[in-house]
Amino acid sequence: MPGAAEKESELSERIEAFVARLKRGGERLSSEEAARQTVGLLRKIIGHGRWGSAGELMALIRKEGKRMTAAQPSETTVGNMVRRVLKIIREEYGRLHGRSEESDQQESLHKLLTSGGLSEDFNTPYPPLRANVIEAISELLIELEGTTDNIAMQALEHIHSNEVIMTIGYSRTVEAFLKEAARKRKFHVIVAECAPFCQGHEMAVRLSKEEIETTVMSDAAIFAVMSRVNKVIIGTKTILANGALIAVSGTHTLALAAKHHSTPLIVCAPMFKLSPQFPNEEDSFYKFVSPQEVLPFTEGEILSKINVHCPVFDYVPPELITLFISNIGGNAPSYIYRLMSELYHPDDHEL
Amino acid sequence: MMAARGSGRRGAGSGGARGPDPQEEPPPPLQAVLVADSFNRRFFPVSKDRPRVLLPLANVAMIDYTLEFLTATGVEETFVFCCWKSSEIKEHLHKSKWCRHTSPNKVRIVTSDLYRSLGDVLRDVDAKSLVRSDFLLVSGDVVSNINVSAALEEHRLRRKLDKNVSVMTMIFKESSPGHRARCQEDDIILAMDSTTNRVLHYQRTQELKRFRFPMSLFQSNIETVEVRHDLLDCHISICSPQVAELFTDNFDYQTRDDFVRGLLVNEEVLGNQIHMHVTAEEYGARVSNLLMYEAVCSDIIRRWVYPMTPEINFTDDETQSYTHSKHNIYRGAEVSLGHGSVLDENVLIGQGTVIGSNCSITNSVIGQNCKIGDEVILDGAFLWNGVHAADHVEIRQSIVCDEAEVKEKVKLNPHCVLTSQVVVGPNITLPEGTVISLHSPDEEEEDDDEFSDDSGVNKEENKVKLKGYNKAEVGSEGRGYLWKADDENEADEEEQRQSLWGPTLNPEEESETESDLSLGSEQPDSRTASPQLDDIKVFQNEVLGTLQRGEEENISCANLVLEINSLKYAYNIGLKEVMQVLSKVVMEFPLQQLDTELNPQHYCVMLIPLLKKWSPVFKNYIKRASDHLDALSAIEEFFLEHDGLHTSIAKVLMTFYQLEILAEEMILFWFSQRDTSDKGRQLRKNQQLQKFIQWLKEAEEESSEGDQD
Repeated sequence: MPGAAEKESELSERIEAFVARLKRGGERLSSEEAARQTVGLLRKIIGHGRWGSAGELMALIRKEGKRMTAAQPSETTVGNMVRRVLKIIREEYGRLHGRSEESDQQESLHKLLTSGGLSEDFNTPYPPLRANVIEAISELLIELEGTTDNIAMQALEHIHSNEVIMTIGYSRTVEAFLKEAARKRKFHVIVAECAPFCQGHEMAVRLSKEEIETTVMSDAAIFAVMSRVNKVIIGTKTILANGALIAVSGTHTLALAAKHHSTPLIVCAPMFKLSPQFPNEEDSFYKFVSPQEVLPFTEGEILSKINVHCPVFDYVPPELITLFISNIGGNAPSYIYRLMSELYHPDDHEL
Repeated sequence: MMAARGSGRRGAGSGGARGPDPQEEPPPPLQAVLVADSFNRRFFPVSKDRPRVLLPLANVAMIDYTLEFLTATGVEETFVFCCWKSSEIKEHLHKSKWCRHTSPNKVRIVTSDLYRSLGDVLRDVDAKSLVRSDFLLVSGDVVSNINVSAALEEHRLRRKLDKNVSVMTMIFKESSPGHRARCQEDDIILAMDSTTNRVLHYQRTQELKRFRFPMSLFQSNIETVEVRHDLLDCHISICSPQVAELFTDNFDYQTRDDFVRGLLVNEEVLGNQIHMHVTAEEYGARVSNLLMYEAVCSDIIRRWVYPMTPEINFTDDETQSYTHSKHNIYRGAEVSLGHGSVLDENVLIGQGTVIGSNCSITNSVIGQNCKIGDEVILDGAFLWNGVHAADHVEIRQSIVCDEAEVKEKVKLNPHCVLTSQVVVGPNITLPEGTVISLHSPDEEEEDDDEFSDDSGVNKEENKVKLKGYNKAEVGSEGRGYLWKADDENEADEEEQRQSLWGPTLNPEEESETESDLSLGSEQPDSRTASPQLDDIKVFQNEVLGTLQRGEEENISCANLVLEINSLKYAYNIGLKEVMQVLSKVVMEFPLQQLDTELNPQHYCVMLIPLLKKWSPVFKNYIKRASDHLDALSAIEEFFLEHDGLHTSIAKVLMTFYQLEILAEEMILFWFSQRDTSDKGRQLRKNQQLQKFIQWLKEAEEESSEGDQD
């Protein structure tokens, strides 16, 4: 087949470029874009890669997926998408294998006990598998595109007139959510600036452009202002398997203040941010960037005498969170485990 | 005037530059020239076993940092020029990810044993015409995360607007004096035009207590001259292909400093300019000596070079995967840490390293497969791969190279260096600044000329042939020769020894430089102290000689102008001075032949034919209004010096006027100037001069009336 080798090298070049981009800190890559690019690349691998059976394909996806995930462990959406694709392959294979969806999905405790480690081998080759998987992945891509809108659509159920809403930093999902609500209702938004990067400033500018009454304040004032706030609405980087968050640093402070004042804390996050990892599995959730923003390099002498750190993310425990709003509806943190089992196959949690 | 003036924070900085905009007007693919040789011996004897660019910096070879920087910034083709130990560099690159076919940055290796300097490399670039458009010039020991696209855009825009005047953009990082990443050896002071970012003056401060700036800097019509001492030279420059050509044209350029100096001095002649780009937020530094090695290494560990941090594993090397945990502790795979051992902070441990119990490790880098015994103290230690450190060893702020062995109870005081495979101990304390190598210091001379362009091959070195290892220096089981740290009769060596770590900056020194700076800035005011005066005197004599010869041999005016011009460049004289000197010389000309008593009548008779003859020379120089005034003030000065000739001033001016050398408005303006001395006023009271002025005024009125009619 002429051009096959060429296509393959082009594909590996693209994977290389994506990995390199992730390694260089993502360069303002949004989570949604990371998810879309990952799925797009995986679709290409399935389309052009050399594989005979579902087993081989899954090994291939695992191998590439591992590389992509390792490139930037804090970008969990990449790993999530790899797991989603693996799950799709399993399902499509199962369908071709002649197993009903029901039996596969409802793995009850009883079944788990009685099945006795009867694992499938995925070795039977099915010619239509490639087309079926690609079709399913294309559906996944369409689903990814609509997530922000799906979340924003639920805004009117949660935001009422004359409420005071507090948020922190900049989140595209929260921005869309608030803007959608502002079309019908009047409310006041307080944005914590989220030093040292101050993404909150950008958020405030964008909101005020939509005629939303917006106030920016420093992170230190979060607790003081909390008594006036009706609702806290935030975005997040990742939802962990126990319903906890890895979110922009400062969020833990905000969540604790909200808990103290019994203010509901709502997290807007699409499903692709749901990660089957548990906290403390490894330290890779923590991301420290250059301390430049905390103490500029120009400070000179003092820098050789002190240690400066600039963490990007906070861990927020699940008990501080009231509600998750995802593209498939609102859920309590305690329900996350259930969503998890729907999205990912348990064998894929560890890539 | 403290140097750190006006940081001039540049608006969007990195944020704006990172926007994805490569689609519009496809610029040619960016190329880079990476010089993988330092052409000096700063890292001796460490670099004897391994070329400098392959020395591990936080367990990754320096050249990998440079290549990653180039790739991240969008370079698509890199030429790596190697000389010393080129085969090793080649092998390293072939194994690395840069030579895979998927690499977005095509690395081409050019080797030659003939390169002796950066100049040779760039001449070769020109000879082989490797570069097609603007390229990045870096050396193989630069660590940086700067995104040069903003600087590149500025550079391209400048070249487009001002056709090829700007040939180079140098990149600097803001960092205040006293920063640990600023070693004195590389410290610079420069003067810039802050509106256009043009470099006006560039100078290394190395061991200088006072700095000199050319006066023309402050006299020229640049409004905002900034003198800056708050910059760290990143040794990254964006060059146009012209740079390579200029190196070819000027075969005496060896280093980039030569080039910059040459260009700035000859700016008026060649019309080439150098610009600069200052970044505040990103990191860029060159590992030029061990002090910088230490500083850059700890900056990497402390994540200043993010995203080039150890745990990112940008080299894609499987043995280089690290986990990062709090307090900047990085651990490779299969690291074992004994009971009771503490990793305090800022520690990097390579794969397969085994650490015994009750050790205390802080601010250190440990390579792969090292074996460290019990109760070892490492503080600021840099252990490379395969180092063995036995029990009770104490290493502070020192470098221990590949497979060296430190036996029991050895203590390394700060700034020690043990090169590859050296063994020291047991039970010995090495004093501060000890350097031990398996190569004896004598053999160094033999291959000196093989790779180093350092002309200083010091023959007077005391040739003590060390047959065996000196047990007193390296311990009873030791292997290695002590490199004398303070060898008095080898100035070259001593300098190198010191700078192996380099002097540390202390605040006192800093205040000293501050006062020096203010001294330097006084200079423009005190004109008498100006070094230019001597030059002007010599120039004056030369001009006189030229004119005399012109008179005797009847040389045409055009040739005279040519000669005076070349003299002007030879002595670096400004136009204004040329004007004054020329007027003065011509006015004094008759006096030389006229040894008798000064007689105004006689003087005029002699001068006027000369003026007539040389009027084209004058016309060549007197063009702008200020030139006229300069000439007039020179004439005035002459007459003030020679009281006896006062009466002839009117006649002289008349001649100048008639020859159309001086315009009447300018003469009138000069006459009406109020701020003259008593003598000058007296001169102006001269009757004939008054008459002449009167006549000029009338003539002007007449002509203006005529215009109105």
